[in-house]
Amino acid sequence: MRSAIELKIGEKAIINDIDNTNPSARRILEVGFTPGEEIELLFKPVFGDPLAFSIRGTLIAVRSSEAKCILI
Amino acid sequence: MLTVTDNKLPLITLLGHPNSGKTTLFNYLSGKKYKTVNYPGSTVEYSISRILSRFEFNANILDSPGIISLIPCSPDEKLSVNYVYNHPKYGKTDLAVVTLDASQLSRQLLLVKQLIECNFKVIIALTMVDILNKKGIDISTTKLSELTGCDVVKIDGRSGEGIDELLKVIRINMNLLNENNLKHTLKDYDKNKIISLYNDIERIEKDVLFNIEPVVKDNELINIENANKKLNVLSGLSVNGHRKLDKSTVNIDKIVLHKFWGLIIFILVMSLTFTSIFWLAAPLMDLVDTFFGNLSEITSNALGDNLFSDLISNGLIAGLGSVLVFVPQIVILFLILGLLEDSGYLARGAMILDKPLAKIGLNGRSFVPMLSGFACAIPAIMATRTIQNRKERLLTIFIIPLMSCSARLPVYALLLAFLIPQDQPFIAGFSLTAIYIFSILSSLLIAGVVNKFTSKINSLKEKSSFIIELPTYKKPKLDTVLKNTFKNANQYVKKAGPVILVLSLILWVLTTFPRQNTELTSDNLTASNSLLLQNDSLTLEEMDSYDLSKSYAGMLGHFIEPVMLPLGLDWRVGVSLIVTFSAREVFVSSMALIFKVTEDDDEGKFQEGILNSMREAKNEATGQKLFTTARIAGLIVFFVFAMQCLSTVAISKKETGGWKIPLIQLFSFSILAYIMAFITVHGLKFFGIS
Ligand SMILES: Nc1nc2c(ncn2[C@@H]2O[C@H](COP(=O)(O)OP(=O)(O)O)[C@@H](O)[C@H]2O)c(=O)[nH]1
Ligand SMILES: [Mg+2]
Repeated sequence: MRSAIELKIGEKAIINDIDNTNPSARRILEVGFTPGEEIELLFKPVFGDPLAFSIRGTLIAVRSSEAKCILI
Repeated sequence: MLTVTDNKLPLITLLGHPNSGKTTLFNYLSGKKYKTVNYPGSTVEYSISRILSRFEFNANILDSPGIISLIPCSPDEKLSVNYVYNHPKYGKTDLAVVTLDASQLSRQLLLVKQLIECNFKVIIALTMVDILNKKGIDISTTKLSELTGCDVVKIDGRSGEGIDELLKVIRINMNLLNENNLKHTLKDYDKNKIISLYNDIERIEKDVLFNIEPVVKDNELINIENANKKLNVLSGLSVNGHRKLDKSTVNIDKIVLHKFWGLIIFILVMSLTFTSIFWLAAPLMDLVDTFFGNLSEITSNALGDNLFSDLISNGLIAGLGSVLVFVPQIVILFLILGLLEDSGYLARGAMILDKPLAKIGLNGRSFVPMLSGFACAIPAIMATRTIQNRKERLLTIFIIPLMSCSARLPVYALLLAFLIPQDQPFIAGFSLTAIYIFSILSSLLIAGVVNKFTSKINSLKEKSSFIIELPTYKKPKLDTVLKNTFKNANQYVKKAGPVILVLSLILWVLTTFPRQNTELTSDNLTASNSLLLQNDSLTLEEMDSYDLSKSYAGMLGHFIEPVMLPLGLDWRVGVSLIVTFSAREVFVSSMALIFKVTEDDDEGKFQEGILNSMREAKNEATGQKLFTTARIAGLIVFFVFAMQCLSTVAISKKETGGWKIPLIQLFSFSILAYIMAFITVHGLKFFGIS
């Protein structure tokens, strides 16, 4: 399974699962990254990390070490 | 049922995500008569107030920092959550009013669901309905109320729309207060639980949202899409467009979060912020300066040449002037911080800086506290509560005193004015920017070194996290920003003012007594007595001939003179530096007092007066000029590093939970300051600049 950090800018995907072994999994879920939702990778500013995803009509920036647990 | 006669007033707690409109609602209900001041960046303190009497309602209302879940992730959130259950002072929350951003319904309902599950009595205050409407969507309060089981009211805390209705609902709920015990069942994390909650929420969302004809401007043609949306309402199709991002936000972010342009904009915003502190403030400061200079002269003339006149014009008015002269800079700094926060840029800045900051053991979330540190270290240290990881939080607190706070501005301004001719404000602005860049770079270096050092002795790896919502860009509401700015500036003057005034007066006494020229000494007279007695007996000449080095201040100065000599400075500067450890700003007034006493008094502007005295000051031993370019540069460097602020020590102790960190800060930064100043003075000498 691919993870969300492998998306290209402007690429959309549906969340398949959240990897529970990542310590940030809970917060990722709580802010709205739940299975079945569509996400889009929108921005990777200057230093290439964190990544800005569109989720549920909002922009959320997530470090790639944490976004790794979003499986698509 | 709780009534007014109960000794505990009912407590209404405002809850909700960050930026969902809690503080706006709170301000409307409380009339802004609350106790703590929120700082640009975030609500970090609980604010409490009675509901305004004009609403004819007797209850306490509590504003809280934003939480997104009842299961806390950081010490800050844990505190927030505990306070919701039981506030140490105001007790249990009787009624939770949740501000719910209607345009973010699905993400924000999670908290409502958790609250209901834990037996809280919940009222939903729907905010940002105007934004939802602009997306061509509306929300049914009756359906949402049916599906959640709580009362729902649409409000806009900015205009007060819907507040009467909200109060009516609150009143009804107050009368039905259940005495159910609150449940603490949410402590454990369960992945499937969150997912199933979200499934519920999505079902609710589909039921309550419906498409409407979007608010179109007159000249905009209703296109086919809009026509379709209208059809949807009629045919009862499910809602669409509610998951669309704000178009203009995405467009702006295409530049602001661009790989290259994003960096350029960031640098531009930061340099504009710092240069305008100097540029915009300079003429205003000049005005304040001239005013107090003239006032001091007028009073001195009116009262004649005597001790009392000296106390008023040199002690009191000069002290007051030194407090107020930097108010323009503080106002401008707070204004810009407020505008940046309100527009939504600060969250982007935090995101851009996260990676480099993480490299030195900090976090993107350190950015706002660090930036606030340029205004004042105290609220900045409080704002670090938003950093989840304890180590990152402590490191951020550790380096915040190195940010050049606004109390250092008058010092830099005075010292730079000494170095740079008046007719070259450009160079002055440039030098100030250079000082700031120098202080930022060295603080980052120190953070990196401390991080390396502490991770060696402490291998404990706590999880580091950066998940942050990037709010939609908003045109800042100028009146709110202005009000906040003036509140902050006012608070600042009120806090710093008395301290500086008292210190100026103490300093005046220390430099004026004991009076060995007359047979009267301060020992056998009270201050006012001696003033009356000496009113006519002392002439200006007598005062000038009077030897400062034999005063109490002189004794103190001579005591630390050995420390000052390596920097090429004498005991007079030493006295000024000693008093700055209570508050940096005092430097200006103490320099004014000390050098005005020893050197010829100068007419005209306050600052010009000090500068002239400083230019004429001679080293008493060698007879050479006391202040040279190298020594002034050394002093500037000293102020960049030294931790000269008692309030910062106090807040650092409070927020780190012990004396260890504040004491390390106090000693290491002050010793570092001395060493760096020494290197500067002698380094410049080596290169031929004396
Ligand atoms: N468009 C719109 N903006 C609002 C509304 N209520 C508050 N705001 C704005 O939303 C921003 C965040 O509000 P604030 O009260 O500070 O949120 P808090 O973080 O929950 O305290 C401010 O700029 C408010 O002016 C509303 O109903 N509609
Ligand atoms: Mg707030």
